[in-house]
Amino acid sequence: MASQSNGASDWPGRYYHIDQVLNTPGPRTDPEFLAGDGVKDFLRNKAKILVIGAGGLGCEILANLALTGFKDIHVIDMDTIDISNLNRQFLFRQKDVGKPKATVAAEFIMQRVPGVKVTPYFGKIQDKDDDYYMQFNLVICGLDSVEARRWMNATLVNLVDPENPESLKPMIDGGTEGFKGQARVILPTVTSCYECSLDMLNKPTAFPICTIANTPRLPEHCIEWASVLEWPRVQGDKKMDTDDPEHIGWLYKVAAARASEFNIEGVTWSLTQGVVKNIIPAIASTNAIIAAACCNEAFKIATSSAAYLNNYFMLIGTDGVYSYTFEHEKRDDCPVCGGESLDMVISPNMTVEQLIETLVEKQDIQIKKPSLSTSTKQIYLQAPPQLEESTRPNLEKKVSELVPSGGEVTVTASTLPFSLSLSIKYS
Amino acid sequence: MANLHDSRDIETSTTAVATEAAPDSKTRRYDRQLRLWAASGQNALESSRILVISGSATSTSILKNLVLPGIGHFTILDPQKVTPEDAGNNFFLEGPSSIGKSRAEEAVRLLGELNDDVEGKADVRSLEDVLVNDREWLSEFTIVIAHNLAAGPLDQLATLLWEDLSYPPLVVVRSAGFLAEFYIQYHEHTVIESHPETAQSLQIDKPFPALLKYSTTLDFANMDVTDHSHVPYVIILVRLLDEWKKSHNGSPPSTYDEKKEFKQTIRDMRKKDDEENFEEAEAQAYRTWTTTSVPSEIRELFKDPQVLSLTPTSPPFFHLVHALKRFTEEHASHTLPLTSTLPDMKANTESYIHLQKLYKTRAEEEKAIFKSFLQVPISDDTIDSFVKNSHALKLLRGKKWGALDADPAALAAAIDTAPKQLAIHLALSALSSFTAKHQLGSPLAPTEEALTSEAQALLPPGTELPEEFGDAVGEIVRAPTADLPNTAALLGGVVAQEVIKMITKQYIPINGSCVIDLIETWTGIL
Ligand SMILES: [Zn+2]
Repeated sequence: MASQSNGASDWPGRYYHIDQVLNTPGPRTDPEFLAGDGVKDFLRNKAKILVIGAGGLGCEILANLALTGFKDIHVIDMDTIDISNLNRQFLFRQKDVGKPKATVAAEFIMQRVPGVKVTPYFGKIQDKDDDYYMQFNLVICGLDSVEARRWMNATLVNLVDPENPESLKPMIDGGTEGFKGQARVILPTVTSCYECSLDMLNKPTAFPICTIANTPRLPEHCIEWASVLEWPRVQGDKKMDTDDPEHIGWLYKVAAARASEFNIEGVTWSLTQGVVKNIIPAIASTNAIIAAACCNEAFKIATSSAAYLNNYFMLIGTDGVYSYTFEHEKRDDCPVCGGESLDMVISPNMTVEQLIETLVEKQDIQIKKPSLSTSTKQIYLQAPPQLEESTRPNLEKKVSELVPSGGEVTVTASTLPFSLSLSIKYS
Repeated sequence: MANLHDSRDIETSTTAVATEAAPDSKTRRYDRQLRLWAASGQNALESSRILVISGSATSTSILKNLVLPGIGHFTILDPQKVTPEDAGNNFFLEGPSSIGKSRAEEAVRLLGELNDDVEGKADVRSLEDVLVNDREWLSEFTIVIAHNLAAGPLDQLATLLWEDLSYPPLVVVRSAGFLAEFYIQYHEHTVIESHPETAQSLQIDKPFPALLKYSTTLDFANMDVTDHSHVPYVIILVRLLDEWKKSHNGSPPSTYDEKKEFKQTIRDMRKKDDEENFEEAEAQAYRTWTTTSVPSEIRELFKDPQVLSLTPTSPPFFHLVHALKRFTEEHASHTLPLTSTLPDMKANTESYIHLQKLYKTRAEEEKAIFKSFLQVPISDDTIDSFVKNSHALKLLRGKKWGALDADPAALAAAIDTAPKQLAIHLALSALSSFTAKHQLGSPLAPTEEALTSEAQALLPPGTELPEEFGDAVGEIVRAPTADLPNTAALLGGVVAQEVIKMITKQYIPINGSCVIDLIETWTGIL
């Protein structure tokens, strides 16, 4: 039963499969590997592992960890179960719709795999402090949000204290989209981190507002018109809930009417939902591959039973099975793990507002709502409101009036637990 | 811009055009996968019947990823009872409480909970029994998946399914510890909806008459600046190319200098500096000097024996390819039929929609010509899809499972071309031959020497094993019977992806052996 303590629920033969790789080293196993009881004791009685996300990847990750012998697993997820999760999130059933993912997943695992303790937290990763994260040996992320990954990555990099080897928590990160996915191992401050590779992300498709308002050509333009312009105009302050079928229905109708007015074909309910929710296709099999790759790395790192991934694995399953394993390089000017400031050459005529737009757009930065300051003055602060108001006049000023060539500008954002230093030069 | 809806009630003015009701619960459940394979793929899945041989952890992992997206039926063929070892590594067994029960029945029960719409059946006969007494039964399935079968029965099964075309494809899956391999045995697999990343040519270099006429007669000079900056780049390029050809003996820009000069004519045509449509035209200028022709892979298809010796009973795919061949031969432009899908480009609504209409009309005309070449009736949906994907059709021809190991010369050649992949394949083949000779009842404990000599026996005499073989065989010796949960889960994902591609006939499955190393974490094709 789930309530039994570690070891008591093990039956002879339970770890027959796993023990084959724990009893003996292989040709590529690190000499430090403690074959036999030492490694088994660590894995089954001491290791504490944190899983971020109990969704498509999270469900798979929890099941794999439990079967490989991790017995103290924690899981954080802020979402509740939706019907569209059931095609892949296999720990959930129709009756669970509306319940917290973390709780339902934890209960299922404890019921299915005897002796494993899964501690759920239904909430945000940002609710937890450094002491909380410090208790784990490893963190596995199965998230669909870039923001949450950046936060977790920066938090684990900041946690590293060179005096204390225990403070280095390997972070294993997975992500999927359709038939494609990637898994990577991040050793904070040692290897390339999540922030180092931001420029590898696909640029989200953005439709210019003037196209949406004046020259729609695609069904997507009509849907954006309905959600970005018509919703606030007609519905006023009412908040749009993209999970509410009535709201989607309204947007669909409005978008279809606009499309018909402009002779544009292709506005459907499904496309409307896809555009406003920014839906990424997701299937069980791809999640299984990536979650397995993540858990396999966690297992190898926790046990030293075999070499681990250095450091990035990506898989594309649309045309055969294509994969690519490579070492992603650390960036010296990474705002999280690099230490060096980022050189930025701008026109002497660029205004502060334009600089902010550039920072939002730039693939390797992508900071929403950045606040800017130098060591001596505030250039523009997004919050609190009084400071925003007092710094607002600077938006129209040229950066060159406020910062000398070679000067440093510090960029911060409330969503990110780090700041970025820009070294400004003028072209 | 005036808003037409301002004075009207949105709800009443729009009900007429929005015809779809909110999706039903099945569509909502499958939403994230329907975006990948649409209703046609889903229907194929729901009609499929899958046989999985053995209820191992790997087998149930594969099935989990097929039951969730909604296959029609699965059967697990497995005579064994759940052992304590099984109960420890298989998520679709309930720990100690499953021990002693039928492994097939327990797995079917727990997998069935994942999706009420899927029918699952446990069959406790042995494969040997089926092969002797009920071979016909195997033809009821869409595809057969076999994990870690003994060499003898696996070979018999593969031979049976290969020799009679009425039997389904076979997926052979082998794994030990951190190493794995799988293979799909099929004679032929054809794909229309391959979901290519590249779009069909817009044929700007060979504009159809209506496009040429429209582009060359558009009055650019008297257009106001706003309209001028909203002419789609396709029109600009067609017009400038036509002018260029008139002064260059009918040839497009070809040398570096000519291409530069052509781009200058684009810039010269601007009315002001920042016309984005002209920037797009410059960026897309290569389309004027890139000749639209039939891709070489499609030309290869035209030479396929099935196309050359077409009969009324040939599969529809070959009838379609045959018609496509005639189209490219007889149509003036010697290209594939024109696409009706236009990418987005800087333009105002009217000019974009007008251009789209020109393409659509022409595409319909060309499709009608294509259709006239068909010798058998084929549904319009299939024809539409075929024409739309005619630049990315796929025909895969496979080999029988075991063909590679029966061909020492091919194995020897792979030592140079794919040594890492071959090393794992040979190590797993060696384990399989070793196990076949092993006495039942005693523990299976192969040595490196024994496996090396099994592998060596497959190669031509005197051939050296690849350097990487040592690492692979060392891992097999370490964990010869380990069905590790992570390896099982990863195989479960990759094999299910391939099975979905086979069943839906969308996307492109592997042709050959897929080898997996979960120590350095890579996959490769052999
Ligand atoms: Zn970094």
